[in-house]
Amino acid sequence: MKRKLSLILSLVLVLTLVMTGCGKSEEPKPANGGDEKTEESAGDANNPAKGRDGAEDTLVIGTHETKGEFLPGYYSETYDGYVVDLVFDGLITNDKEGNPIPLAAKDWEVSDDHLTYTFNLRDDIKFSDGEPLTAEDVEFTYTFICDPNYDGPRTSAVADLEGYEEYNKGDAEKVSGIEVIDDHTIAFKFTKALSTNIWNFGHGIMPKHVYEFEKGDIDAIKAKMTEPMGSGPFIFEKYEPKQYVEFKANEDYFLGSPKFSKLILKFTNVETQFSELEKGTVDIQLSVAAKGENKEILDGMDFVNIVEYPENSYGYIGFNMRDPRLADKRVRQALTYGFNRDQFAEVYYQGFAQTCNVPISQVSWAYTDEINEYKYDPDKAMKLLDEAGWKVGKDGIREKDGKKLEFVWSTHTDSKYVETMIPMLKSDWEKIGVKVEADIMEFAALSEKVYEKQEFDLYNMAWSLSVDPDAYEIFHSSQDQKGGYNSVGFKNEENDKLLEQGREEFDQEKRAEIYKKWSQVINEELPYMFLTQANRWDVANKRVKNFETSPFQDIQDRDVILNIELE
Amino acid sequence: MFKYIVRRILNLIPVLLIISILIFGIIKMAPGDPLSTRLDPTSTAEQRAAEREKLGLNDPVPLQYWKWLTKSIRGDFGESTMYRRPVKDVVPKFIWNTFLLNVVVYIIAFLISIPIGIVCAVKQYSKTDNFWTVFSIIGISMPSFFFGLLLIYFFSVKQNWFPINGMVTPGKNAVGWARVTDILHHMVLPAIVLTIGSMASLVRYTRTSMLEVINQDYIRTARSKGLKEKVVIYKHAFRNALIPIVTIIGFTIPGLFSGAVILETVFVWPGIGNVMMESITARDYNMMMALNMFFALLTLLGNLLADIGYALVDPRIKVD
Repeated sequence: MKRKLSLILSLVLVLTLVMTGCGKSEEPKPANGGDEKTEESAGDANNPAKGRDGAEDTLVIGTHETKGEFLPGYYSETYDGYVVDLVFDGLITNDKEGNPIPLAAKDWEVSDDHLTYTFNLRDDIKFSDGEPLTAEDVEFTYTFICDPNYDGPRTSAVADLEGYEEYNKGDAEKVSGIEVIDDHTIAFKFTKALSTNIWNFGHGIMPKHVYEFEKGDIDAIKAKMTEPMGSGPFIFEKYEPKQYVEFKANEDYFLGSPKFSKLILKFTNVETQFSELEKGTVDIQLSVAAKGENKEILDGMDFVNIVEYPENSYGYIGFNMRDPRLADKRVRQALTYGFNRDQFAEVYYQGFAQTCNVPISQVSWAYTDEINEYKYDPDKAMKLLDEAGWKVGKDGIREKDGKKLEFVWSTHTDSKYVETMIPMLKSDWEKIGVKVEADIMEFAALSEKVYEKQEFDLYNMAWSLSVDPDAYEIFHSSQDQKGGYNSVGFKNEENDKLLEQGREEFDQEKRAEIYKKWSQVINEELPYMFLTQANRWDVANKRVKNFETSPFQDIQDRDVILNIELE
Repeated sequence: MFKYIVRRILNLIPVLLIISILIFGIIKMAPGDPLSTRLDPTSTAEQRAAEREKLGLNDPVPLQYWKWLTKSIRGDFGESTMYRRPVKDVVPKFIWNTFLLNVVVYIIAFLISIPIGIVCAVKQYSKTDNFWTVFSIIGISMPSFFFGLLLIYFFSVKQNWFPINGMVTPGKNAVGWARVTDILHHMVLPAIVLTIGSMASLVRYTRTSMLEVINQDYIRTARSKGLKEKVVIYKHAFRNALIPIVTIIGFTIPGLFSGAVILETVFVWPGIGNVMMESITARDYNMMMALNMFFALLTLLGNLLADIGYALVDPRIKVD
């Protein structure tokens, strides 16, 4: 289920962790230590991870700490998602290209009206207590999210099921849209035919006999939150809050046993990740910030490899289009042409990032490069502003009808990303006659200002990118409401039409066509100034063989974790 | 004495009530709410509005306070929005971890610092005194994350003497005595950082307080009637120098339970400091209230203990 909801990863994470990441501290040790290491070690013989107790059959993965929300219906951060996905199997998952593929389901059929999904389950799946996984378990898993007292973040997976309202608000005993046909067949009926509905089925299947509860008694399920039990490739063993999660391999896993017997997710942070790698106390460190200074440190350790790929997230500056100055497309384009984004990416990431121009992952089937790149071009920016009627005033700031091109940029604290950008944006825009002042506040305050109050000129945040290119909740005009995510007030008929078509079309080639057009609309209209899409680095000790993550397949993906071999 | 203590404890109730109103008010004044830091575009605006309603965030603030108060009095501190579990299920473990580390640190710090402070006062301006003065200044001014990283680099990465971080060895699952030694082994480096930090100020306090006493007339009298220097210092001077130190001990009670954010980050020590910080960023109201009230209560109790302590060491103070 990480797929559909992958947009989730709230900015708090993306921004404060990934982007500010390394700036926060000096890292006196690894920098020095790295240099010395090069001289004294010849790689393999000095690989510190090999000497660790029990290293031969234990994989230790360093990652950000989890909150202990280890239930498919409840987790809200990527890291808790790792645990959930390792322990539970969804009906489907996705392949490297982002297409849905079977997991616990053998296959599935979609009815001609695209409303009913019928899944045929595999009959060789057992939960780790030996009980078989059946359609009843699937029914339970989805019914509990429909519960009137359910208070987790997955409601959207079931809200469009037939009979949801009757169960959630009324006294129906079952959700009529979930129908168990036999032990290994189950059908789901939706009220709306959307191609994105398939992604609701990545949701991990929970064993009914373990979690069983009466309608309304949601606390009984939450009480088992930190002791997950499912059918996945790993069996949950132990959770030490703020320290680590321990698993053992599920040797009877239906896709084959993992090739090592113990797995530990060890919680690290930017202060500790390099010493962990250097000492060999972690074998894989996920999501090391891709920056020149970190590269130097890692280059100093000749026993690690970096797996590099574009991160599934992008940073942006949102323009408040309710402001008549920013309602003019030419002004938004000029502001984008007028900021040297490439230079920013170079300064902040030392090249380990790309500027981005559309909110779709470059590896997605929906991505197109037939778009305007908005390369830095101050002359063009000035021409556009002239055309739009903004003339340079006495103080060097452009003005029109008594209004000045003077903006307040609402942004958040604790971010090197922002700190680096402020002087660069200021000076670049000054050259085209635009003044900008940064107003820095805490993230929660910014979020309220932007989404609840919609009181801002410009603001910056980041979104994660989902496997599916659909971005209805962010860009559709219906989401321009207090509390909605279209906080920039983007209203464009073409955009609305394409976003609707994109969700309603089921043929992937036709969808790709639609999203190509949509990309071009977004790229032309620029409700956001798209900033950067950073690279992600997963750093692995050389003793870890066949380790390959990619944008749509993170560490917990079956294709990744089941392939890993230890030396 | 007993009456006094009872009276003081009864006094705590209105004080705590006022504190809780103040804290609740301040927390609610900050912009944002638990949902504003958790942006999830798979949810619809309606679903988010419904969740706000469910959390009672749309109620008037006094009503929210009343609900919180009536529940807390019955021992129900509500559910943490950050952990999606009851606060009282999440917090005790973290507080215990912090307490464990701090108890060790304080005991060592007091045992070392007080004698050092006395020696420094007795041999004022000597080489020993100067050494500890410099030591204290360095100890107070050295940023704990830097010192922590240095220790990790030299004693864990270079020399394999101590684990680089954490509280237990992952996957070892030791029990009983083995677990105790495992935790102690992990505790050494963070304890050194914290001990040096708190030693510095303790040494200075003891020294100053001791100096003040040593220069009093009755000490000169004690010396002039031919008492041994040892007796003068440890029997006559030290007892009186203890009085201000008792105040400090009172203040350390809440300190025992409050975590150190930076240290917890550098050493991945699972303490309460980071939880507190995160609860603020995440606007986890129930968590913030529970923790703040807990610390308020500890501070008040610490003051009470200090007052009782005065009465015990200083016969001039009568509490009735």
